[in-house]
Amino acid sequence: MLKINNLTKIYDDGTVALKNVSFTVTDGEFLVIIGLSGSGKSTLLRCINRLIEPTEGKISWNGKDITHIKGEELRCYRREIGMIFQHFNLVRRSSVLKNVMAGRLGYAKTMQSLFGKFSEEDKEKALHVIDRLEIEEQIHKRADELSGGQQQRVGIARALMQDPKMILADEPVASLDPVLAHSILSNLEKLNQEDKMTVICSLHYLDLVQRYATRVIGLREGVIVYEGTKKDIKAMTDTQFKEIYGQEAERVGGGLEGTIA
Amino acid sequence: MKKQNMKVKIPQKPSLVPPFVASIFSAIIPGLGQILARAYSRGLIILSSFLTIGGLLAWRIYEQGRRYQDIKTMISKAFQFSPILQIITILFALLYIWIIIDAYFTAKKSNTGSRSYGTGLIFFVLAVFFLLGWQIGDINVGDFFSQADTALPTIGRLMWPWEKAIDRPEEILTISADVLSPCQEEEIPIVEALEDEAYISISPTCGNPTEVDGTPGTEFTIVGGNFNKDVEIEIWWKDPNGNEFRQRQEGEYVKVMPDADGNFQVKIVMPYRIISSTIADENKIWEIQARQLLSVGEAQLSEEFTLAVEKMIETIIIGMMATLFGVVLSIPISFLAAKNLMSENFLTKAIYYIVRTILNVIRSIEPLIWAIIATIVVGLGPFAGIIALTVHSIAALAKMYSEAIEGIDEGPIEAIQATGANWLQTIVYAVIPQIIPPFVSFTIYRWDINIRMSTVIGFVGGGGIGFLLQQWIRLLDYRAAGIAVWFIAITVMILDYASAEIREKYN
Repeated sequence: MLKINNLTKIYDDGTVALKNVSFTVTDGEFLVIIGLSGSGKSTLLRCINRLIEPTEGKISWNGKDITHIKGEELRCYRREIGMIFQHFNLVRRSSVLKNVMAGRLGYAKTMQSLFGKFSEEDKEKALHVIDRLEIEEQIHKRADELSGGQQQRVGIARALMQDPKMILADEPVASLDPVLAHSILSNLEKLNQEDKMTVICSLHYLDLVQRYATRVIGLREGVIVYEGTKKDIKAMTDTQFKEIYGQEAERVGGGLEGTIA
Repeated sequence: MKKQNMKVKIPQKPSLVPPFVASIFSAIIPGLGQILARAYSRGLIILSSFLTIGGLLAWRIYEQGRRYQDIKTMISKAFQFSPILQIITILFALLYIWIIIDAYFTAKKSNTGSRSYGTGLIFFVLAVFFLLGWQIGDINVGDFFSQADTALPTIGRLMWPWEKAIDRPEEILTISADVLSPCQEEEIPIVEALEDEAYISISPTCGNPTEVDGTPGTEFTIVGGNFNKDVEIEIWWKDPNGNEFRQRQEGEYVKVMPDADGNFQVKIVMPYRIISSTIADENKIWEIQARQLLSVGEAQLSEEFTLAVEKMIETIIIGMMATLFGVVLSIPISFLAAKNLMSENFLTKAIYYIVRTILNVIRSIEPLIWAIIATIVVGLGPFAGIIALTVHSIAALAKMYSEAIEGIDEGPIEAIQATGANWLQTIVYAVIPQIIPPFVSFTIYRWDINIRMSTVIGFVGGGGIGFLLQQWIRLLDYRAAGIAVWFIAITVMILDYASAEIREKYN
């Protein structure tokens, strides 16, 4: 269980990215964070695995305060949380296999990993994960030779190598077409439902939110302005929509049940 | 509302003085009028360029006429020696007038709110400046033509030096005959013509040398036969002291080409020669020699050619070794000089700035100067050259490498950190794969530069072909120097091509 209390992030240049954000994620949830670009979604996700240091507030993971842990402890925490990214963040000139194996670095012995040596179990695990994401044909290709959808699968495979208990996905489908978007999100859904991994995912399109989320948080200018369950999203009103996306925003279809003014 | 209005309509601040007064101020101190018209930067630029040009002009006039105490003669002599100074002085006066007029219009335009950029003035200042440069640089296009006669043969030898690349073992054929001086009762018989052996026959067989007052000596007729045809014959003397010297006639060495049968005939006047008196009393026999320089045996590569090849190899090795050491040493340094890796905390930032500063200082000192320093430490030779190029390569490569590191995509780093990887793992998995292509490219580029540099590092004692080239130039052996220049040119061309090809592949 992830618990976030009064999280605030102010960047060095004075930008307030998050303001007193508090919420709890119970195990097995598929939590989607919505909001405009710059609303603080990415900062929030990166604060959770401490890629960004929070300014104030407290983050606890399974009852343990991880807000200020360092070194080995931080590494052990991070490897329990997989992360996937909008731009995949693969090492473009490295092979698919090498990119996937990198997911195991948190477990590997430093010296061996520096020379590209991993244990047999790790290698088998990689092949299994690659199989599962149906990218086995690309295994020896360079990452930048793959299509966007394939690259994101490599990203997921890398996260899975960590044996994560939770997956953070920062707009994982924003660079993909709608068909691929569904395919990637259904991969995440499978992990959520079959492997019981908690997923926290930021998304832009409300139809995707409605299809995959079990719960939704709406961020605007670093503040939580909306919280709801799957049912609530369907019933989202225009006022609520504008609260998240601003007064100028207009809803366009999306099969929502809420009234459109 | 009113406040807002004020804000929008800031009128341009008017000139502090009326246009006419601005002109007067600029006449006293050029540019002051413009400054008072609130065209501050314009005024400062005018003032500094006026002072620069005026100062340079005064220096050149002093330089040309410094032998004259009186200022008036100094200036007139300077104008006489270097007419271009007259033109510059006139332009300088024009500039002064222009500045005064410009002050007037600048002040006027300040009041109306429009302002020109003074492009014309800038071009004028630049023109005067470059004219001064022409004078200071002592540029004289005429030199190209006036000295062409003496320069062309030398350049010809430099450009086509290959006669010197091949050597033939040589042998001198010397045939001699004696003459007496002065004439005595006993005469030397005239040599008879031989059937199948080279000979010379001289008549008369005695005579007197040219006197010190210029009274010509006895004229001898030399007839020779059975010499090698198509090979020039030189006429030499051997005086009673045993010294050999070449016969000169009207300032030129006497040379004669034998005819198709190998026969020749030439007349020479016995030259002036100081002979020590004791020897002159005892021995009065002089010798006239006809010499032919004959090549025998196979042609072979000359000593200069093989030396140039050896030194060229040494040059390439110097460049290669310096690149190797440079790469090995600069890689760790480049990580310390990469801003994105070193902005963790105060200490790392301090290291970053220190390393960067040191690299910049080292890089700003040319390899030739490093070579001079290195020769002080390790003495002349290739090792000094390797040290010099290594030092410079480290600084240059570390900077280029660190910029490649700074240019890497942050995404993969973030992703690898998120897996729980430590610092070292992040470097190896997210940074190194991204920097290898630019690193390879920069390394090849540096290798290219190092070999070019190693060709001249010998000029200051750093070993390699530069050392030979400098020696040959000093000995005025332009053919040998030409061979070295050709080797350098060929090597650099091949290198250029190879390095471009390799870098293409990694871009």
